[in-house]
Amino acid sequence: MKRTLRMLPALMLGSVLFAAGPVKLLNVSYDPTRELYQEIDAAFAKQWKAKTGADLQIGQSHGGSGKQARSVIDGLQADVVTLALAYDIDSIAERAHLLPANWQSRLPNNSTPYTSTIVFLVRKGNPKHIKDWEDLVRPGVSVITPNPKTSGGARWSYLAAWGYALKRNNGDDKKAEDFVARLYRNVPVLDSGARGSTTTFVQRGIGDVLLDWENEASLALNELGRDKVEVVTPAISILAEPPVAVVDKVAARHGTAAVAKAYLEFLYTEEGQEIGAKNYYRPRSAQALAKYASRFPRLQFFTIDELFGGWQKAQKRHFEDGGVFDRIYLAGK
Amino acid sequence: MNKLLGSVLFLAAAWAVAAQTGSDVQDQKIRQLEQKVDELDQKLKVAERKQELKDEQLSESAKSAASVTADTGGFTIKSNDGNFLLKIGADLQVDNRTFLGQGSQSFVDTALLRRVRPTFSGTVYKYVDYFFRPDFGQGQTVIYDAYVELKYFDRAKVRVGKFKPPVGLERLQSDDDTNFVERGLPTLLAPSRDIGYQISGDVVRRRVAYAVGVFNGVADNGLSDAAVSNHRDYAGRIFLTPFQPDERNPLRGLGAGLGASTGNVDGEALPAYKSFGQNTFFTFASGVAEAGHRTRLAPQAYYYLGPFGLLTEYGLTEEGLQKGTVRRDIAFRAWQVQATFLLTGEAKGFTSPTPRKSFDPRNQGWGAVELAVRVGDFSTEQGIYNYGFAAVTAAPRHAHEWVGGVNWYLNRLFRTSLDYGNTNFGGGATAAAGGNRPSERALILRFQVNFI
Repeated sequence: MKRTLRMLPALMLGSVLFAAGPVKLLNVSYDPTRELYQEIDAAFAKQWKAKTGADLQIGQSHGGSGKQARSVIDGLQADVVTLALAYDIDSIAERAHLLPANWQSRLPNNSTPYTSTIVFLVRKGNPKHIKDWEDLVRPGVSVITPNPKTSGGARWSYLAAWGYALKRNNGDDKKAEDFVARLYRNVPVLDSGARGSTTTFVQRGIGDVLLDWENEASLALNELGRDKVEVVTPAISILAEPPVAVVDKVAARHGTAAVAKAYLEFLYTEEGQEIGAKNYYRPRSAQALAKYASRFPRLQFFTIDELFGGWQKAQKRHFEDGGVFDRIYLAGK
Repeated sequence: MNKLLGSVLFLAAAWAVAAQTGSDVQDQKIRQLEQKVDELDQKLKVAERKQELKDEQLSESAKSAASVTADTGGFTIKSNDGNFLLKIGADLQVDNRTFLGQGSQSFVDTALLRRVRPTFSGTVYKYVDYFFRPDFGQGQTVIYDAYVELKYFDRAKVRVGKFKPPVGLERLQSDDDTNFVERGLPTLLAPSRDIGYQISGDVVRRRVAYAVGVFNGVADNGLSDAAVSNHRDYAGRIFLTPFQPDERNPLRGLGAGLGASTGNVDGEALPAYKSFGQNTFFTFASGVAEAGHRTRLAPQAYYYLGPFGLLTEYGLTEEGLQKGTVRRDIAFRAWQVQATFLLTGEAKGFTSPTPRKSFDPRNQGWGAVELAVRVGDFSTEQGIYNYGFAAVTAAPRHAHEWVGGVNWYLNRLFRTSLDYGNTNFGGGATAAAGGNRPSERALILRFQVNFI
């Protein structure tokens, strides 16, 4: 009996070791980051293995940013979220209390390891001569962009257009609303996410211009070839800051808090920044930005805080049910 | 000559100009047509894409849409992932009671609504079941079952609310599954419904079922909605079906177990014991109260093999009674043996059989027909008279019954039963006749619809 008791700790340890498989991490992200995180995941897993000796399996889930946030709120077991906009992570913090309200202050640059912007993808030769935002409201120009109520990227596009009009009209809100209303009158189809809009524009051949993430447009250019499409960078656009965060309660439950934190910190390393730049995300690192400078045309940026008072205000005014978007889109139908 | 040459040149130039103008117009028309075609092409593509998106949306909606079904399991609304469920059911029993023989004139032949029980049950958030079942039968409104059950662990389900405490075997059998229209004598010694907490589960690969719980405490065959004292009743049951997983083993349908409860009965209502015909044959003398402890024991077993079924149980209740300064523990005992045989060959079990062919004479469907017989006995101690707890002229201390019946299951939900029950009484004398209480001979016809 005593011998059995003495063996018990060894048996327990053995069973734990036997039961311990690779550490599993789930990254719930938005639509266009598939390629970025495939590369990030492989690099980080390799680094983690070298550092700790543990195998790491990182799962990815992609979809419209708002939809992904709702899934996490409803129970999708995300260890980390890497979404299109801070408002969606705020929702997770507010409604499901899975991470603290101050989550954005826990990592550098407001937890935004890379930035992006909204550019135009046009057909080869730019037959409609689209150079800047003003060209999008011309009669006969067909604009493709997803529904801003379901797509994070589309919300950035909408606010980019609004911001452009504000800047051009000395902050005249009415003129900005009129401009955006005219723009959405030129939108024949509203997809629910960025990938859907790319399909509409590229594969279905609909529209003259696609409002898209800079990285998504650049990937489309590489995949389709310069003989099919061109990227037009407007003179002014919005600085899109897609944030990242550990979902504390889920990670704690899974015992993955440390690896989840390290995973997000990896995005800020030179290696992580370079992978971001390679995938057409504008890196925070000056070194990586200098190395890939040719990929990122210079343009004038404005931020959401600067023109809209932050995401909470922008969301409430423009994208809530009965908000400005509903008003202008329904009026245009 | 020069004039002629000039005219020719003029005509040639005019023709060239005219030709050029025609070509330009033609090109313009072609360009316009191309533009029209492009516009139409875009419109067609937009329409197609919109339809594509609509189809995707419908497909997504279908994936998450709830389903509504109406079948032998009742009416069900179920979320797409199965985590949310509402079942609407009903248990309706219409009885016709006829009393025969000596003493029958003191009973009223009647048709009555024995049970009218709408049932709402289901699941929320995957792991929480709920069950609510009131009864409007016999002119009363009583909540029979109302509980929630957390079923996260199959081996330890937690139930809270009003439900059947885990004691008597036939009591735990659903009303629509019993072999006879009224339950046997041992059920008189088991609690009907009580409010409390229970942990139950199936362990050892479903060979052992257990349940333990804490309840307010109710009288034998009684139900209550509130505790009458700070004391609690503790109930438990273990039931073994050791051969159940082996489909070829002839003992597969064998199950045996023991139910028990114990607790203080101070201030509780006194039980009233009823015959097969639902006439109260045993009442306590006035001034008698429950006092002290009560212990129930209920060994039980069943065996099913093909169309044959056997069910037996024994019930013992020993409880404290007090009249004036006299307080004694009195034992009540009962047993029964039931045997059934399905003439139409369906497999018998603890739940109602499913007819091989539902009632549909035009297609040679007659449902399932079953013969059933039971014998049972109820008795208490002589001391019940000696201590004045019951009057010898009003309460027999012995009842012996036999019941024979036919069950006709027209389909999975509808059943009609005809039972004849004979109960003889002994050990007490009626004041009027000076002999035993007359035997009760009751013929009960039941029509029953049950789906939950």
